[in-house]
Amino acid sequence: MDELIGYLPDFLDGMLVTLGISVAAAIAGLILGFALNAARISVPGFTAIYAIYVWLIRGTPLLAQLAVIYFGLPVIGLRLEAVEASVLSLAVYSGAYFAELFRTAWASVPGGQLEAARVHGISRARVFWHIQAPQAMAFALPLLGNQVILTIKESAVTSVITVPELTMTAGRIVSTTFSYVMPYALLVLSYWLLTSSVAVIARSLGLRVTRHLRG
Amino acid sequence: MMNDFSSRFALYWPALIDGALTTLWLCVIGMLSGFVLGVLLHLMANGRSRGGVACARVYVSFFRGTPMLAQLLLLFYLPSALGVDVPPVVAAAAALALNTAAYQSQILGSGFAAIAKGQVEAASVFALGRYNTLLHIQLPQVLRLTLPALICELIDVIKVSAVVSVISITDLMRVSQQLVSQTYRPLEVYLVAGLFYLLLTSLLSVLGSLLERRWRERC
Repeated sequence: MDELIGYLPDFLDGMLVTLGISVAAAIAGLILGFALNAARISVPGFTAIYAIYVWLIRGTPLLAQLAVIYFGLPVIGLRLEAVEASVLSLAVYSGAYFAELFRTAWASVPGGQLEAARVHGISRARVFWHIQAPQAMAFALPLLGNQVILTIKESAVTSVITVPELTMTAGRIVSTTFSYVMPYALLVLSYWLLTSSVAVIARSLGLRVTRHLRG
Repeated sequence: MMNDFSSRFALYWPALIDGALTTLWLCVIGMLSGFVLGVLLHLMANGRSRGGVACARVYVSFFRGTPMLAQLLLLFYLPSALGVDVPPVVAAAAALALNTAAYQSQILGSGFAAIAKGQVEAASVFALGRYNTLLHIQLPQVLRLTLPALICELIDVIKVSAVVSVISITDLMRVSQQLVSQTYRPLEVYLVAGLFYLLLTSLLSVLGSLLERRWRERC
């Protein structure tokens, strides 16, 4: 028990780092995903770029992408700190998933609405922001929480490049105390706690946002 | 320059193929045992025993709510702390299987739900027994209904399997790390390794959509 209390401050620090990089990456990924989807809809010819981006990012492991960014980019003169590289690669990674999420959200808005609005001479941009976006976002919001959870889970691999987040913290405690079970058990429990709380928050937020749809 | 690269690539090639094969068979083993576990989990989650239902729920929540890397570390170090020596390969395959079982039980659940209830009732009228009903009536159809989703899951397993390199299994990721430490060309090697992963996952996704199309035509 004393052992456990000894780790706790370190674990809390690690949890904050995990949460910090995950939230930063999720926000950046959200913006990236939104922009990718908006460009796919409004920029002619962007569909191919979009498809290639999603294919490349979703077809390879985050660990490989992280290795390219952290170990590979310095070759062409772009040297990033471990934390920066982690946030960047997590954002690039989750951006592809967010983009696909927005794509299905936009597809959920009936096409007739777009046609009707165009017939009434409402500009494409206004249709996007005032007609499609509100409905699509109501569709997407309950699903966004899942993506944030995924980002938290994926952030564990950043321990490989020595970002002092949860997994790295547990590894460090193991290597100094030589007790394996307790730190790693505490590690999975911490992640479980984090992801479960995000799930609960996302569910209640989702319920609130879609209240008008249930009457 | 290009010539240079092709001669270096000839050097990487055999090692990367080796690594890709390790990744592939580890994932296939994990996927297959995960399927069996996933079926059991599904049966437990929909069984009569309250304890079983609760256990299945906690299992799924736990394995879907924590990172694969953390699960792997726990699974690798827990037995050795208890005095049992588990080889890294076994720990890796077990971690992949336990992890994917949670996801597969959810996928299979939708497949089981899609089979008409009358079939199971008819089977029980004919006194086929629960085991035979499962094996000969439900599972073949579930497999067919969920195969596209299961292939997506296999793609996810391949991607998530990159973390087993951490416990020194010479999969695609580990092999590329070794190549980097020999050649000091990280950008090139990791990009090529990424291409290998992309090849694996793309082939599988093409296979998935082919199967889906073929079965839809036959229906």
